[in-house]
Amino acid sequence: MILAQAKTQVSPLPQAETELALEGVWRVVVLNDPVNLMSYVVLVFKKVFGFDETTARRHMLEVHERGRSVVWTGLREKAEAYAFTLQQWHLTTILESDETH
Amino acid sequence: MKRIEVKLALPVVAPLLDVIKGMADSLRRSLAAPLGLTDLDADYGTAWADELVAAQNEDVKTLLALFNEGFFREGVIAFDEDNAEQIVRATAAVRLRLREYYLKPLADESLESGNVELEELDESLRKAFMCYLFLATIQELIIQHLDSSILES
Repeated sequence: MILAQAKTQVSPLPQAETELALEGVWRVVVLNDPVNLMSYVVLVFKKVFGFDETTARRHMLEVHERGRSVVWTGLREKAEAYAFTLQQWHLTTILESDETH
Repeated sequence: MKRIEVKLALPVVAPLLDVIKGMADSLRRSLAAPLGLTDLDADYGTAWADELVAAQNEDVKTLLALFNEGFFREGVIAFDEDNAEQIVRATAAVRLRLREYYLKPLADESLESGNVELEELDESLRKAFMCYLFLATIQELIIQHLDSSILES
């Protein structure tokens, strides 16, 4: 994937500092928007995360009613991959460090 | 291969295509949804966004390809497992851009429900909102009939 290549080429921070920043648990959070259809969001969650219908709908409703839903939690590298894929599907996505809560 | 053919009313849809093409042009260099990651370093963030924009362009190209000579001759567009995923994403992108460029005067609740009095809108807003609804209909059709193709691809 081109993105992964770009990541290895760019090193703006000293390695130790970078590694420290990327350590820990990260949350993939999808934010609400008034445009994307509920059925579309459910489809995306099923496609990207392999959720069953019930789980996908639960996350979709959480986004719709609470404005956000944590759809995945784990290491930064994989969280970035999920965020990238969700953005390919035009869902507004942010990453949050576990330390921010 | 599962295939859906939809017969559209040319006099209704054809006038919407200029708006859709305009939105497609505006999507060539920028993302439909905001890039919500603020902690990426500049070069990495640029590479990230460039790759998303390139994928977005491919999707939008597939959407526009529906409206070919055959469409203008017979009013028919067709979806199958080869184009469904790209079209469903492209319709999302164009709908987001329509909101950004034209539909800001409409409340979020109206956009979500689709309950808007068309007669009360000026012509450009009405046309944009009709595009918005038309693209939602395409999305719903694909999700209803081709979701298994998308999930298995």
